[in-house]
Amino acid sequence: MSFWETVTGSDLTRDWKAFEARAQALPGDYRAAWEQMVTHLFSYGSFTGRNLTPIADAALGLLEEASAEGQSVHEVIGDDIAGFSAALAGGAGARNYRDRWREQLNRNVARKLARLGD
Amino acid sequence: MEDLTEMLKGTLEGCVLEIISREETYGYAITRRLNDLGFTDVIDGTVYTILLRLERNQLVQVTKRPSEVGPPRKFYTLNDAGRRELATFWAKWHYVSARIDKLREGGS
Repeated sequence: MSFWETVTGSDLTRDWKAFEARAQALPGDYRAAWEQMVTHLFSYGSFTGRNLTPIADAALGLLEEASAEGQSVHEVIGDDIAGFSAALAGGAGARNYRDRWREQLNRNVARKLARLGD
Repeated sequence: MEDLTEMLKGTLEGCVLEIISREETYGYAITRRLNDLGFTDVIDGTVYTILLRLERNQLVQVTKRPSEVGPPRKFYTLNDAGRRELATFWAKWHYVSARIDKLREGGS
């Protein structure tokens, strides 16, 4: 990744454009599932969401392979798209907003409690 | 049999390792093998997340190969760490299943 890409995020725009093009080639029910997955995945994003690119790439790969086998999207990922997305994101060990918020909250509470003891 | 999800949770990873240890294989084939065994609830998505975990923990060797249908497929084989993990899985499995059988037979 070049400095220019780091600053502008131009690599991200390019990657996601490529993902969208691949998603467009999928059958309709797969495309719908992909859109839901993207929504869920973004809650696991880091500040720039750069950690999501390999996850999204892997997820699209699975959808492409499965649709080529002629399966229905339901046979492949079932009802729990949120759970599936979480498992994918967990697979990358993605640290996200919520982790940081949780840490911050814990720190603040600990500080307040320590002061109470004075 | 249905509704095995909860019970299978901890063991499915070992099952997938065992299937990969027999011969080089890919996600879809692993799911079909598990379905044929009678684990009808297991879907590609589940197997896929397990494969991601195995890959992340460096227990498998992954090779991308072109397939007759659609995009290239990822094929999996076990590496040495994977074989050790599989041996540990079976050791744990025998431990647990022997004790559960004992419990059922009313022994101590």
